[in-house]
Amino acid sequence: MNSVGEGCTELKREYDQCFNRWFAEKFLKGDRSADPCSELFLKYHTCVQKAIKEKDIPIEGVEFMGPNREKADS
Amino acid sequence: MKIWTSEHVFNHPWETVTKAAMQKYPNPMNTSVFGVDVLDRNVDQRGRLHSKRLLSTEWGLPSIVRSIIGNARTCTYIQEHSVVDPKEKTFELQSTNITFTNMVSVDERLIYRPHPEDPEKTMLTQEAIISVKGVSLSSYLEGLMASSISSNAGKGREAMEWVIRRLNTEIEELAITARGTLRTPMAAAAVTEK
Repeated sequence: MNSVGEGCTELKREYDQCFNRWFAEKFLKGDRSADPCSELFLKYHTCVQKAIKEKDIPIEGVEFMGPNREKADS
Repeated sequence: MKIWTSEHVFNHPWETVTKAAMQKYPNPMNTSVFGVDVLDRNVDQRGRLHSKRLLSTEWGLPSIVRSIIGNARTCTYIQEHSVVDPKEKTFELQSTNITFTNMVSVDERLIYRPHPEDPEKTMLTQEAIISVKGVSLSSYLEGLMASSISSNAGKGREAMEWVIRRLNTEIEELAITARGTLRTPMAAAAVTEK
């Protein structure tokens, strides 16, 4: 599956692979350890935010590192 | 305004369906979705996973709708918020279009939970609220969009089955590979036991 930002697709794939593994093997089985994908997400997210700005897509109320985040931000 | 609702039972346990739903795209049935991006993700105080995603679609509006609102071949963007509660075993998704909002509003809600009578099955409850704005044929157009949504929902369920089959094949292939590598030491151990 592609990303909205054509240049972000590879970063998206790497993040998705990491997330899907954690989601199936840890999260759904009740393991509360945090996902190991934060770095991958950050790279991917930076790329996507740029593409969204460029394409002028009206995203509503999304804040990375928003108030709901449980983990401490480093 | 038109409201469309549906219920469907998958003959798979909730975890399997949830894993598949998370990886639903791409699939050969929902070809209008050409991009999926995660905008944000976090686990809340109750251990529920929240995800905000952006779906890029070529929304297949019926040609009559396109001829009224303009034939521009553009994509429609949909923003989706979902919550997975692994304790309660619910996966709830809500989505709304964020473009063409002055013309039409499609809000969808899906909830996957274990079937109340059979824990090996999963129940999907789905609803869509459709509003076409400022056009005199609005209720007719809303009806057209509802049948389009209904047909897409059918494709969506087929798509889920396709993803589940694909994931099961991957698991089987891994198991076969694992058995292959175990076979030699196990055969040696069996001989020793005799």
